[in-house]
Amino acid sequence: MFPFSYTRVSDTDEALDAGRRGGRYIAGGTTLVDLMRETVERPESLVDISGLPLREVRATEGGGLRIGALVRMAEAAAHPKVRTLYPVISESLELSASAQLRNMATIGGNIMQRTRCTYFRDVTADCNKREPGSGCAALEGHNRTHAILGTSDACVATHPSDVAVAFAALEATVHLLGPDGERRVPFADFLLRPGNTPHREQALRKGELVTAVEVPALPRPLKSGYLKVRDRQSYEFALTSAAVALHIRGGVIREAKVASGGVGTVPWKLPAVERHLVGERPSAALWTAAAEKAADGARPLKHNRFKTELLKRTVERQLRVVGGTK
Amino acid sequence: MSPQPQAAVGAPLSRVDGRLKVTGQAPYAAEHDVEGVVHAVIVDSGVGRGRITSIDTRDAEAQRDVLRVISHRNAPKLPYRDNPGSNNPPGRRLRVFQDDRVLFHGQPVAVVVATTLEAAQHGASLVKVAYDTERPSTDLHEAERDKPTTYARGDADAGLRSSAVRLDLTYQLARNHQNPMEPHATIARWDGDKLTVWDKTQWVVGTRDELVTVFDLPEESVRIISPFVGGAFGSGLRCWPHTVVAALAARETGRPVKLVLSRKQQYFGTGFRPSYEYRLRLGSDRRGRLTAMAHEMDAETSSYETFTETVMPAGQMLYSMPNVSQEYRTVPLDVNTPLWMRGPGFATASFVIESAMDELAHKLGIDPLELRRRNEPNEDESNGRPFSTRRLRECYTVGAREFGWHRRSSRPRSRREGDWLIGLGVAVGVYETQRNQAQARVRLDADGTALVETAASDMGPGTYTSQTQVAADALGLTMRTVTLRLGDSLYPPTPPHGGSQTMASVGSAVLDGCDKVRRQAIELAVEDRESPLYGADADDVVVRGGRLHVKGNPGRGETYRSLLTRNDRTHVEAGGSYAGASKPERHSFYAYNATFAEVAVDAKLGLVRVRRMLGVYDAGRIISPKLAESQAIGGIVGGIGTALLEHTVTDHRDGRIVNANLADYLVPVNADVPDVRAIYLDGEDRKADPLGVKGLGEVVHVGVAPAIANAVFNATGRRVRELPITAEALM
Repeated sequence: MFPFSYTRVSDTDEALDAGRRGGRYIAGGTTLVDLMRETVERPESLVDISGLPLREVRATEGGGLRIGALVRMAEAAAHPKVRTLYPVISESLELSASAQLRNMATIGGNIMQRTRCTYFRDVTADCNKREPGSGCAALEGHNRTHAILGTSDACVATHPSDVAVAFAALEATVHLLGPDGERRVPFADFLLRPGNTPHREQALRKGELVTAVEVPALPRPLKSGYLKVRDRQSYEFALTSAAVALHIRGGVIREAKVASGGVGTVPWKLPAVERHLVGERPSAALWTAAAEKAADGARPLKHNRFKTELLKRTVERQLRVVGGTK
Repeated sequence: MSPQPQAAVGAPLSRVDGRLKVTGQAPYAAEHDVEGVVHAVIVDSGVGRGRITSIDTRDAEAQRDVLRVISHRNAPKLPYRDNPGSNNPPGRRLRVFQDDRVLFHGQPVAVVVATTLEAAQHGASLVKVAYDTERPSTDLHEAERDKPTTYARGDADAGLRSSAVRLDLTYQLARNHQNPMEPHATIARWDGDKLTVWDKTQWVVGTRDELVTVFDLPEESVRIISPFVGGAFGSGLRCWPHTVVAALAARETGRPVKLVLSRKQQYFGTGFRPSYEYRLRLGSDRRGRLTAMAHEMDAETSSYETFTETVMPAGQMLYSMPNVSQEYRTVPLDVNTPLWMRGPGFATASFVIESAMDELAHKLGIDPLELRRRNEPNEDESNGRPFSTRRLRECYTVGAREFGWHRRSSRPRSRREGDWLIGLGVAVGVYETQRNQAQARVRLDADGTALVETAASDMGPGTYTSQTQVAADALGLTMRTVTLRLGDSLYPPTPPHGGSQTMASVGSAVLDGCDKVRRQAIELAVEDRESPLYGADADDVVVRGGRLHVKGNPGRGETYRSLLTRNDRTHVEAGGSYAGASKPERHSFYAYNATFAEVAVDAKLGLVRVRRMLGVYDAGRIISPKLAESQAIGGIVGGIGTALLEHTVTDHRDGRIVNANLADYLVPVNADVPDVRAIYLDGEDRKADPLGVKGLGEVVHVGVAPAIANAVFNATGRRVRELPITAEALM
């Protein structure tokens, strides 16, 4: 681990001031400390924001939810409002990491977490994300767990978060606070596809702080849920996943929110699947036909070809589970 | 002598060291408190093959608290005398910091010693090494193979040609790493020319001998201490380069040095179960009687040592057939040397043979258990020897009854619960009963307590407990009054704590030593005019709870304590020994099992969930039933890993292991572990050893993976011949 300074801040002004001077924010530290140990991350100065008052979950006017950036994963998952309004969020959190990690890691840190690409995490390997211009060892290397969507020739790493998939599906908004004040960024614009600059992962300006994630109100009744497919039953990142929320009234799907994880360089929203569903009546055939569009544009690699088909099946299954047909 | 009553042996006792362990008081290798200790961190090669052209250590050396950076540029020449012992495979062992050659990715190229661990770690990350890089050869399928080791009886080719039914199957088995919880670690301290090493090892004797030869020291100058081992599964059966590095660094800095491998470094700093390509051709008649098997096995080894394991015997003795041929080839690669991992060789062979038997059973429409019964041999057909005991038929019967085998449909995909296809599978496991020379020292003190010392280890199976059980009964003492000491090369020597031989070998030596001590005490009593036992026949005297008495007449006797005190004896002591297996053996000695698995498979999503497992074991006498059950559970969990999860992945472009951590190298978590049950058949094998045990740590693992694979076939109709079984193989 490279030497670093450590400051604990108690209000947002202090945090922003430290951030403006180049400090790296740290909350639960479950990703950052890990990466510092591997010398992948070498921040000179850490700014501990755990003490900031960003730990509230509350309902917004109109029936949405605002989850403070420092709410722990475990707290968010167990929160009665989250559970009742958006089971998909609770489920995605509870299928993540381990109980110990969920007790430490925060919602803000979760969406900010960095990829699990093993080449990224090994400083002796080439990685454009870690060292721009060095190349991508995963492209021709071992890439079973890598992305098939949103990739570029510079990077094929997946975004590892589960709850970010739920947020993407639900079209959440990220609340930011920076030296120039507050702003809100749609989730779809917050996490960046790699393109030629895979080291740039979020649409953050210097010193900006994630303060909350806001999930918009959706028409009720809303059924939602998260399916995670992985090799072992717990404590593993997704091979594929699907976050689905459906508003069905009068036997017709009026709203459909669908995104997938484990397959994209960012949580992968599936608008084509959503469009196929809206206005239709739930049926096994509908799920199959809609899911058929889930992997549109996929660019599989040598070891992850199976993900294209697995993605479709994952989406199909979760549409059926949430949509409630046999 | 009259046989001793057995109070402790066979009782389901908890571990005698359990409290020490759960309260954190059992010291593991890195936890010994050695005054003045400094820390060493190894710098690993970042290329898979080549030569070091430069090492820039200036930044590292400039760090506060860094004492020294050692590499081939400044390391002293080490003697590295030949050592065919210590479990070193044939070849030229890796010599740390002796030249500029890089033989595999991750090879130690330098070590940073500092007064703090953090400084050593940071220093190691600052060492810049430049290489003249060559492309390594790490792909088993692409490399040149060594000449084969062969076996033949009858004519397998002719047998296959004339067989009514033939199968020709090729299996791929992934490399697996032992991944014990406790990392490999060493503390080395020199006192003048004497070297003391606290090490994680399964064999203090082997580690001592290796350091004696590497540094060319007299045997008595090196002491290895290893009282507790936090799991090993074979990874501690050799003295690895890092142990030499620690001793070298301690000598160069004049300070005691602690070196703990990182989790990542275990993947190339210690051994592993080699990957295999295994082709099996098999022939039978229409009623399922085997006619021939032809085995072709390719296994990885390193470029500098030829590692082999017992992958051949199972194919020669498990089933009756006239024709067998085997070709076992090692394939030298630019990797570090493999080593035994739980159930070595047999686990690999069993996966192949038992998968193929299941395939044959399906093809012929015969129940898999019935097929095996039809091929049960009457003797070990590889050497004509009778089996000491072989109770596989009972394993089948008991297992089938207890597992509900009759509920299995022979037609795949016939049982469904929602999205899950349910299947049942069975496989046989076998492992040789190894016995080797061992010694122990036993001392009975006048206060009625006893001390047993032996160099053996306890890597987790419960050696402390089970040996205490043996000693307590043989001495006629309670468990609490017997203390066992292990893991010190100053204690009487023992064979490696591996291959399931510790109870048979060390236990027999402990038994011998305790029998001798008891006999001495009894003889003292019957010749002592003041003893109530005076004049009794020594052969009629037994000891219970520390009291000697005439068998059948508990009133006539006295305690060890009164006997020894009256005779002014502070203690009675004896050396126990066991000579090992008779040579040549007159019988064929193996432990067996039938392992049953029930799985649920979501074939659409490629998910396998093991729901139930049962192992039925013919392992001879069970000394410690509770520990034996733990062993079975552990062996089965390991087998689930091999079957479904474990796979060390190498990037063949540069020889790097890409999943050298526990987030990417998957082992089962609790959620993956189903309802596991173990049944040990009552009995003993008196021909094997004085205790009647056959060893159980390995056999409980052998057969698990094929049972699961066979259950997957029964569930889905899909035969997977590549381990681990992945989602993509089942979709």
